Amino acid sequence: MSGSYAGYIRMRVLQCVVIVVFLLLAGRVAWLQLFDARYEEMAKANVLRHVVQYPPRGEVLDRNGEYLVQSRECYDLMVIYSEIGKRGFDTARMCEVLGISRKRLERELANARMRPRAPRVVANYISKEDKLRFDECNFRGFYTVYRTVRRYPNHVGGNLLGFVSEVTPNYLKHHPDYQAGDYVGLSGVESAYESALKGRKGVMIQEVDTHGAIKGSYMDGYYDSLPEPGHYLVSTIDSRLQLLGEELMDGKVGAAVAIEPSTGEILMMVSSPTYDPDELVGRERGNNYMKMLRNKRGPLFNRAVKAKYPPGSTFKLVQGLIGLQEGVLRPSDLHACYMGYQAGRMKMACHAHASPIDLRFAVATSCNAYFCYVFRDILDNPKYGGVREGFNAWKEYVESFGFGRKLGSDFLDEGSGYIPDADYYERRYRGTWNSLTVLSLSIGQGELGCTPLQLANLAAIVANRGYYYIPHIVKRIEGRDSLDARFYERHYTMVEPKHFEPIVEGMWRGVHVDGTSTSAYLEGLDVCGKTGTAQNPHGKDHSTFLSFAPKDNPRIAISVYVENGGFGASAALPIASLLEEFYLTDTIRRPELLDYVKNMEIHYPFYDR
Amino acid sequence: MTANRNTGLSERVDLWTILLYVLIVLAGAISITAASYKENTVNVFAFSHFYMKQIMWIGIAWVAALVVLLLDKRVYHMLAYPAYAVGLCMLLAALAFGKEVNGAKAWFEFGSFRLQPAEFVKIATALALARVMSAYSFSINRPRDLFKVAMVICAPLMIIILQNDTGSGIVLCSFLFVLYREGLNKWLCIPVVLVATLFIASFMLSPMLLLVLLIVLCTCAEAMMNGAWRSRIIFLASLALATVLLCIAMHFIAPGAMTPYAALLTVVLLSLVGVVAYAYRANLHNIFIPAGLFVGTLIFLSTTDYIFASVLRPHQRDRILSFLGIISDPRGIDYNVNQSKIAIGSGGLLGKGFLQGTQIKYGFVPERHTDFIFCTIGEDWGFVGAMTVLVLLCLLILRLMRMGELQQEPFGRIYCYCVASILLFHVLVNVGMTVGLMPVMGIPLPYISYGGSSLIAFTIMLFIAVRLDASMRRFSLKNH
Repeated sequence: MSGSYAGYIRMRVLQCVVIVVFLLLAGRVAWLQLFDARYEEMAKANVLRHVVQYPPRGEVLDRNGEYLVQSRECYDLMVIYSEIGKRGFDTARMCEVLGISRKRLERELANARMRPRAPRVVANYISKEDKLRFDECNFRGFYTVYRTVRRYPNHVGGNLLGFVSEVTPNYLKHHPDYQAGDYVGLSGVESAYESALKGRKGVMIQEVDTHGAIKGSYMDGYYDSLPEPGHYLVSTIDSRLQLLGEELMDGKVGAAVAIEPSTGEILMMVSSPTYDPDELVGRERGNNYMKMLRNKRGPLFNRAVKAKYPPGSTFKLVQGLIGLQEGVLRPSDLHACYMGYQAGRMKMACHAHASPIDLRFAVATSCNAYFCYVFRDILDNPKYGGVREGFNAWKEYVESFGFGRKLGSDFLDEGSGYIPDADYYERRYRGTWNSLTVLSLSIGQGELGCTPLQLANLAAIVANRGYYYIPHIVKRIEGRDSLDARFYERHYTMVEPKHFEPIVEGMWRGVHVDGTSTSAYLEGLDVCGKTGTAQNPHGKDHSTFLSFAPKDNPRIAISVYVENGGFGASAALPIASLLEEFYLTDTIRRPELLDYVKNMEIHYPFYDR
Repeated sequence: MTANRNTGLSERVDLWTILLYVLIVLAGAISITAASYKENTVNVFAFSHFYMKQIMWIGIAWVAALVVLLLDKRVYHMLAYPAYAVGLCMLLAALAFGKEVNGAKAWFEFGSFRLQPAEFVKIATALALARVMSAYSFSINRPRDLFKVAMVICAPLMIIILQNDTGSGIVLCSFLFVLYREGLNKWLCIPVVLVATLFIASFMLSPMLLLVLLIVLCTCAEAMMNGAWRSRIIFLASLALATVLLCIAMHFIAPGAMTPYAALLTVVLLSLVGVVAYAYRANLHNIFIPAGLFVGTLIFLSTTDYIFASVLRPHQRDRILSFLGIISDPRGIDYNVNQSKIAIGSGGLLGKGFLQGTQIKYGFVPERHTDFIFCTIGEDWGFVGAMTVLVLLCLLILRLMRMGELQQEPFGRIYCYCVASILLFHVLVNVGMTVGLMPVMGIPLPYISYGGSSLIAFTIMLFIAVRLDASMRRFSLKNH
């Protein structure tokens, strides 16, 4: 058929077949190489491994430059399984050096065997000392990677500083900028200033082969970046005061907060029981955390900003101030009190003291009856035409003192306390209520709920004669000129500053002349104070004390709240007094009072059932 | 005469073919270097490297090529049958005593060297086929001669498939290309190709659809051969009508006893009696070819499930299913092809440069120096490099076909076409596999993949063609 026409046609057909086959292949290659960009990405995903380099987290200093939180170097132990020698290694020795259990080591090694040439974490939180010992042993196939964890040189401020934890899957869902393995602050300062503290991760891009073995850096490190350490914070806390506060509050349930009135800086914030923040770092973290969760006294609950306590007699300051501003009370007004206040069948008991008394003495001696008169006068002021309107006017005043709402401090989990409104009583008493019905509010009982921070803020307001700065915990952030603007703003209450003098006078007299707070007297410091004893359904009265010192140009305002502590003067007052003494004079000249506080035994049947 | 032949050899061999060959072999050597080069190698020229071994194989192959060129042209005509017989014996010997590599019992082992007889059997089969078909009385469309041809192709094919080296076996099917050139009725070629696709399709299509396709296909093939379209369409229509009627009837007699598929099958098989009668009466004996094809395929298709489940090895099954997209498993079966596509796709227009391809260098592509060598080219040299290699291969194949056309004797022409078809099939399947167009079959890319057997066999195969071409030129020079 050679040379014939039919053969010629068939040759042409076959040439076409050949060319079509090659065009098909060429087209496919062109598609893969020139048009489909996915393969480029997939090739990179194959060969590039992004190794995160963790930055040291920012440190936290106290107001005097002492470290509250440091970053401590620690190491993760990594293994490349295939590089372990054929004869294995001395597992017992490794467990001994690193302090890990043999069972755990074997489990991790079994996991590492799945991808024998890929690095894998075997153990974390290895201390520097262990790491050095480990390096001497020279185990083949094992190496360590640098990370940092938190360290608390003073072991203070558990709830205050908060803790850092590896991000949970749930957290990742809401914060796409984090990745598994990152650490994040979950409470207190750590969470409030997370963005400043966390720093920026660096990345090292490595080329790996198909077995996961590292072959070198990508583009000679052109795209690598170094980790940027987190910014350090200067906290407003005085760590020595904090330490003393925690010692004094040890064994008691409650909270103590101290504020510098002229700035709103929180000098000390103790929530008791507290915990050593170092316990929430390292390998024992999980166990300790569970132990704390099971503790019925709730060491993880930051009472200082979250608890709702009845303020007791300390609230009389607010009542007096509102009365003065409303014009229903003059400082010289006298009211009679013979062991209490009586209106119809309603009786409010009081303790024995002279009668009649004026406002200053009523504050100093904490007379219940006097403030019943004041409170009723506020609510039943004809100006408002009804208890409902009167009550709402009162509530507005109270809120201007920072009660019943969040103060806006830098604690993200700050509580708002509780101030009932008229509607609450309308519902509760089905419309039939009057100023007598809610009389217990006059002495800070009843439905009131205040956080210790709000109470300390009240002390600061009185100390400042009418205004406050929002309490805050951070003084300065590295790399920033100022804090949030809200911390520099004076917040005035609805009570004019001129009305504060008689109240301050009463508080001064309570300490210095004749009142409930005389044991808070400190020579030359002009301490002003107000005790509070709050009845509660869970046993003994709560003991609370509000104070500031000195009277003029006060440097510290403090509130101490001790649950079931009894009289305000018996538990809270000595604690507050010692703290003031220590802060203002740097010494404690009353060792017997210190012993008294430390040896004080308070029983908490409600928690320790 | 002898002296004359030797002195003129360099002028008479087709230098273009040899140039193409040398370029392709060098491209292969470079690619193997890239695929097997390891960083931090102390002794770059150590003989343990694949590229050093390949250079040695290239040397041996070139010596073999020279020997092939020096032998007389008639030797190949003469040796066709003995070589074929020896080849079959070697295959059987490998089946009996050979060494198993990658699941295929297709290798002889001599010390550290391994030899795959199947590579050389391709040459022997090509020579034997050329010899059979160049016989004076041979007529391709005569069933007896067609049967002879089928035997020549199928004997080694069966043995190779028994060796479990399906890929190499199927290569022999590419001789259909030659048969077409030699005048095999195209309406036989096309159905054969289609039946092959039907086998694959049988995994995806329903039996009913498959049967209908098969009937239409065979009827059309027959109609193309003999004309008379009208009666064939009437035949199809009556089949359909009869099936419908049978279905309705069965529905009343015994509901559910007969599915439409069974009804159609019954009607078609019954109609075959009529078809046979018609063939005898109209004296159209070639009707038996499509009819036989139909019955054969029917039996074949009904056994595909069996073949699939029992004859094919699990890895072959997985490869086919994976290729058809029926199963998808990027970490397992799809891994090779996926990584291969990634390597090629990431090459871009100009590639990453010699030894710079990360996917190859860091071992993501398995078999990167043998079956997946095209990935190395695609990644290191990009689209430009891949096209260069494809164009070189395409030119070589077209050149071989042209050589064949210029041959004056059918033997030479058929042989050249055999070589061209084997090369085409290898390139199509191998490159197609690396870019995801073909299922994975372990056959090498000619002249480029690492491997002594394959390089030497392909070289000898090509140079026999060059030798035949050279002697033809001498004749043509003398004649003119």
